This record gives sequence, structure tokens and C-alpha cells, in this order.
Amino acid sequence: MKIMRVEKTLVSTNRIDAFGHRPLLVVQDKPGGPRSVAVDAVGCIPGDWVICVGSSAAREAAGSKDYPSDLTIVGIIDHWNPEGA
Amino acid sequence: MDIWRVVDELVCTRRVPGLGAASLRVLRGQKGEISVATDPVGVPAGKWVFTTVGSAARLAMPDPTVQTDLTICGIIDQWEEE
Repeated sequence: MKIMRVEKTLVSTNRIDAFGHRPLLVVQDKPGGPRSVAVDAVGCIPGDWVICVGSSAAREAAGSKDYPSDLTIVGIIDHWNPEGA
Repeated sequence: MDIWRVVDELVCTRRVPGLGAASLRVLRGQKGEISVATDPVGVPAGKWVFTTVGSAARLAMPDPTVQTDLTICGIIDQWEEE
């Protein structure tokens, strides 16, 4: 799992049916780093530090074994100091 | 399977039900990269461990329904950092 920071929500109206209405978020490895899109299975807000899962766990955590996600947020970190790691 | 050093425990109260009560650890890889793994062993900070990724990570957990993609498989008895 990767530690990432939620930057903002991602609006995508025209999407494949398989994605349903699940919220999508833009996440970053570190501030200023490359951006990725993750499915939000927890309910987080911009600024939260979260853990993101990949692989088959990403699909299942997003709702079902068939969900086409390869990056899903599965938890919000209580306390995280990005400099300390 | 990769070799990591355990940096710390990770407290994550708000999580998906699929993650259960799995214990989490922050790991640092040999190139300095940071990751999070589920820990079925109970590893203290500072230890060197090896992990498995992908769907094998779920099989490595006592409960394979836990939604993880990186699991600590064991503590390395002796490891010299290059």
C-alpha cells in the first residue's frame, strides 16, 4: 500500500458503466509529485493523508471483484508527518 | 519478494471494513521508497523484513479476504545494508 495525499475531487461525467457513481479523487505521492486517480472507498476530504491499495484488493475494496480499479483508498492515516518518514 | 526495513507502526482508525483490524507498518525500501504493509507477524520498528506483493499478499494473511497488496512474510534474522 502507498501513502498518498488527497489533492482534490475528480469529476468525470462520461465514464464507463463499470465505474458506477463511485467518487474519484486526485492523489499525490508527495506535494508536487505525479498525480494519480484513486477510487474513494472511505470518504476523505482534500488534504487527508491516506493509504491506497492496488492489485486485486483495489478491485474488491472499491465494491466488487469486477470493479475496474487499480488504486483504491482504504484508510485515512490518523497522524502523518511527511518529513519524518 | 522484496526486502524492507520497518520504520514505524501506522495508526489508521478510519478504514474500509475489508481491511479488518489488520496491523499496519510503514516500510522503507532499499532505495529509500516508503510503503505500507499489513503485518501478520508483529514486527517492531527497525527490523528488516521480506514481503510479498499483489494477490499473493492476501494469501499471506491469516484471513485471505483482507484487502491488502503488500504483506510482511517474515523477519530477516541478519541483514547488512549495502
